[in-house]
Amino acid sequence: MKSINILGVETSCDETAAAVVRNGDEVLSNIINSQIEVHQRYGGVVPEIASRQHVENIGAVVTEALRAAAVSIQDIDAVAVTNRPGLIGALLVGLSYAKALAYALNKPFMGINHLEGHIYANFIEHPSITFPLICLLVSGGHTSLIYMEDFQNTRLLGATRDDAAGEAFDKVARFLGLGYPGGPAVEKAAAQGKAGLYTLPRPYLDKNDFEFSFSGLKTAAMNMCNKLNKNGSLNVYDLAAEFQEALVEVLVEKTFKAARRFSAPNVLVAGGVAANSRLREMMRLKSKISDIPLFFPSVKMCTDNAAMIAGLGYHHYKMKNFAKLDLNAYPGL
Amino acid sequence: MLILALECSTSVAGVALLKDGVIIKEIFSNYKKNHSETLLPVIDRSLNECQYVLQDLSAVAITIGPGSFTGLRIGLATAKGLCTASGLPLIAIPTLEVLAHNIAYNSLWAGTILDARKNQVYMCVYDVSGGEPVPLAPVNAVAPEIFVANTLELLSIYGEHKIMLLGDGAITYRKLFESSFHQRMIIAPAHLLWPRAAALAELASVKFTKNEFENIDLLKPLYIRRSEAEIRWDELK
Repeated sequence: MKSINILGVETSCDETAAAVVRNGDEVLSNIINSQIEVHQRYGGVVPEIASRQHVENIGAVVTEALRAAAVSIQDIDAVAVTNRPGLIGALLVGLSYAKALAYALNKPFMGINHLEGHIYANFIEHPSITFPLICLLVSGGHTSLIYMEDFQNTRLLGATRDDAAGEAFDKVARFLGLGYPGGPAVEKAAAQGKAGLYTLPRPYLDKNDFEFSFSGLKTAAMNMCNKLNKNGSLNVYDLAAEFQEALVEVLVEKTFKAARRFSAPNVLVAGGVAANSRLREMMRLKSKISDIPLFFPSVKMCTDNAAMIAGLGYHHYKMKNFAKLDLNAYPGL
Repeated sequence: MLILALECSTSVAGVALLKDGVIIKEIFSNYKKNHSETLLPVIDRSLNECQYVLQDLSAVAITIGPGSFTGLRIGLATAKGLCTASGLPLIAIPTLEVLAHNIAYNSLWAGTILDARKNQVYMCVYDVSGGEPVPLAPVNAVAPEIFVANTLELLSIYGEHKIMLLGDGAITYRKLFESSFHQRMIIAPAHLLWPRAAALAELASVKFTKNEFENIDLLKPLYIRRSEAEIRWDELK
């Protein structure tokens, strides 16, 4: 069978990324140009600046992806590009570039859902995963539990009603003065502290559904910070550790409760927050106790990347699920 | 020589094909749909209807700015994708020069004004009497009142000139301009009001003969104005 090389392009937030993936799971290159340093001083991603960076960087990133994969542009069989959800101005850069590239190569192109790409990252690295499964999708914009019978048939069991987990990390990190991006900043601070010395709530843990809510936990952490600051007894590391512990506990418990309820033989975790080492540790522990196999992408594949887009693009390619020239980008699902 | 010209810096999506000095196709769309949906289908349609394929082109040309930030990026990202895949050279022309070229060889000055929102305009004044637009002031983003003051000063220095105002900013601030310039000003008629891909193609053909091409990977839009976040950051400092 002829090998199929897919070029993936991803510009949905603050990473300009391109990758070449062969036959859906052989990652020939995975280039990520992160803008973290550019956005750092603003305490979060500035959409207009992200869009400007993308259009400056996209050419070099794609060129590098081809070079690192040791393929010429003519060896590309199709182009897969993230067209939803994300920052609209940022998405439009990658989409416009990828569409034009595919058009000029006279090759098909596919619009890819960024979140499905995150889930697919697991299948690139663990080809042995079988369906059905429960997937916890946890990132800066989303916190959802999804039941997947296969790639096409999925059911949303529950999602966050307010802040996404990654968003809560960012906001608490900013409030505690730990820096940006919040996930790694809180994780680093938490490693120097101890959970349990302060007590924060475990929101929705007692509820019998699969919804999440992290806004209250975030506010509780901020209020506790203010209170402890007033009497001069704040240990920011211990507070970070307790916040992280509370958030992780809710994610772990709800995910495995869903796996038991729906008799899912496998659990997946996907999205940027899946890179959090405490979440990985507690998930592994729970998997062992529950005897339910657990899959994570590697840390590099958790954050936004184009290999996951190209990998999923291969499946769209096989199904001839090609986009038309008027494909647009959408900020939401 | 066959040049494909893409103009996306305003609400207009414009595509033109220039073959050996002749405009053989121009599509001008200024109706609701956004550039990301229209641009590539219009490029495809233009080439098909003229029985060309992309590989027949000599170069791709774009307006590089100023203009709508998103529009500029859609145009540039599309041009980069086309040129990277095909190996075609890329030519970039400032938007306001393209707009001024609508009245090439005219003795009127071209006062080019695009509505930049936030009570500002992107502006420049060109002497177009020799054919190619020659700027009489730097391209800038200013309040329309500043444009008026600067332009009145220019007019007083150069004496008897009259000015034609082109661009959507001329319509947004029409009353201000009429009451400031009086008889020394004409607002461009509808067919000259917007930057045209045909005018871009014509200016690009001159650059093509001089081999003035852009570095495809490094090229960025000429925004003129910084992002709001950067402006606020400097104010806080």
